[in-house]
Amino acid sequence: MVKKKQNPLRIDYHRGIIEGSLLHITNHAGLDEPRLVKIWTVDIQARDSQRYIEFVRRFCQNDEPVSFLHIKRIRKSEERGALTVIICSKHMIEEEDVFLMLMEQAPFEYTAISGEFVVPSKGPSTKDLSLKWSSQYWPLVWRGNPNDQIMNDYVFDLPFIKEILDKISNLANSEEQNGESGPPVVSAFVNPKTRKVVYAADARFRDSPLDHSLMRGIRSVAALEHARKASPDSQEKEETYLCLNFDVYTTHEPCSMCAMALIHSRIKRCIFLQPMKKTGCLESESGDGYCMHNNYALNSKYEVFRWLGSEYPVPHVESEVCC
Amino acid sequence: MSLEVHSHYMRMATKLAKYALDHDETPVACIFVHTPTNRVVAYGMNDTNRSLTGIAHAEFMGIAQIQSKFGVQDTSIFKSITLYVTVEPCIMCASALKQLGVQKVVFGCGNERFGGNGSILSIHKDSCTAPQNKHWSIPGILRKEAIMLLRYFYVRENERSPKPRAKANRKLDKSKFPPMDWTLYLSRDEFESVFDSLLLKHYDDSTDLSDTLNWGLIDDNQDRFFSHLKDECEQFCLQTAKKPKPQTVS
Repeated sequence: MVKKKQNPLRIDYHRGIIEGSLLHITNHAGLDEPRLVKIWTVDIQARDSQRYIEFVRRFCQNDEPVSFLHIKRIRKSEERGALTVIICSKHMIEEEDVFLMLMEQAPFEYTAISGEFVVPSKGPSTKDLSLKWSSQYWPLVWRGNPNDQIMNDYVFDLPFIKEILDKISNLANSEEQNGESGPPVVSAFVNPKTRKVVYAADARFRDSPLDHSLMRGIRSVAALEHARKASPDSQEKEETYLCLNFDVYTTHEPCSMCAMALIHSRIKRCIFLQPMKKTGCLESESGDGYCMHNNYALNSKYEVFRWLGSEYPVPHVESEVCC
Repeated sequence: MSLEVHSHYMRMATKLAKYALDHDETPVACIFVHTPTNRVVAYGMNDTNRSLTGIAHAEFMGIAQIQSKFGVQDTSIFKSITLYVTVEPCIMCASALKQLGVQKVVFGCGNERFGGNGSILSIHKDSCTAPQNKHWSIPGILRKEAIMLLRYFYVRENERSPKPRAKANRKLDKSKFPPMDWTLYLSRDEFESVFDSLLLKHYDDSTDLSDTLNWGLIDDNQDRFFSHLKDECEQFCLQTAKKPKPQTVS
């Protein structure tokens, strides 16, 4: 985690733009809705708080799907001198009998078992709202707009990003000139460990109508892994699991099939050049506003950016085409 | 098409899912039926382990079988296809089916994490995915069987895991099922037109169409069924299909 002031990148937090050229694509809908999560709490004595912390670390931390970083896990109880503490979310343990089984292992006395409290699943963007939610639901920690911190933590190798964008722009333009295999859409998959780049072009006129560039790229990455496994020196080369933590570049904003395929493939980041207003599934303003990578109903996610400059032109693709 | 017909094909999909479970894959499977001739054209099982991709879902296997038979470019065959799948298609598959123009999708249980036919998104009737190809989607056929197969799978995975999780999935519950929220998938009117007004109490009470669970489908060995199914699909072609043969697979 870098301090905001020490970040060498120029970030416009208000507009979500990095170095004047990469626009952070997020879900604008319901940004400041608390999206409450139910939690299990108990009351303990203040002297047991250290034992409580160790217990949570040992028995809950690994299985807990909800982040409590923006939340104070310990608050004053209505009971004098006691503390009300969060054990875990109801996403981790739903049923009371299972929760009681967990608590049998607690190395401290406790009372007032409750599954009634709720906490916001994500911190709000303003301090005022943080104070409001703190009094309304449960005490929060205010560390600034969480989205600023998220943007601040992203790492960019801009010369490399520009090189790949230049390449896919060129490939797409030559596809348009010479290729008849599909609409001029091109993607690049970058392996995070080896930095090896796999390029794929759309082939829906030659092969299946579902052979969009991203689907083909995912299969090409798998083909390389099949080849590695079959090679005599397979042990020396590093294994690739799906497209885990890959950076993916694509000329046109992906459709619902491809945007979801990237979730299944566990990529880290997608950077694209051209929004598809009708069929795109990443931008809030595109298509049905799915924001597939940042949809609250889908747990899995990846980072998405759109290049704003005009350095990397892409061929025109008809608006109703799914890319 | 009647509930009896849907149940017939969903029984086949369920048997295939059990076959997949017995052969170390996720117990999700599907059957593609050519509606005009009422015959099975293709089948699919998950193939994510062998393929090393996260996208080799059951639907894609069946799609590839149909394409290898009828050609990849001509998608007109899909207009006559009803898909029977044990678990609601994920968003990716729902989108693929719609882009190809599949006529109808019938499924067992919902897909709470990634469902694209109502649970998370409703790709089948959205406006950004080939909107000219909106299709019918019918949930809840043999839902308990589909859920129970997934439970078998999770319990087995947990037993095999080097670090079994203490919480969910540690015990196999054979009697309780979550309520069926039909409203995610169908309006009350749609439900009535798809099924029957006599069944509306299930819609209102969020209950399954059937009280019982057909244990034979998910406990019996399905190796013989699978080889019959393969033969049936291989034999399918549009010429002979005009004179429907008696069903060889049940």
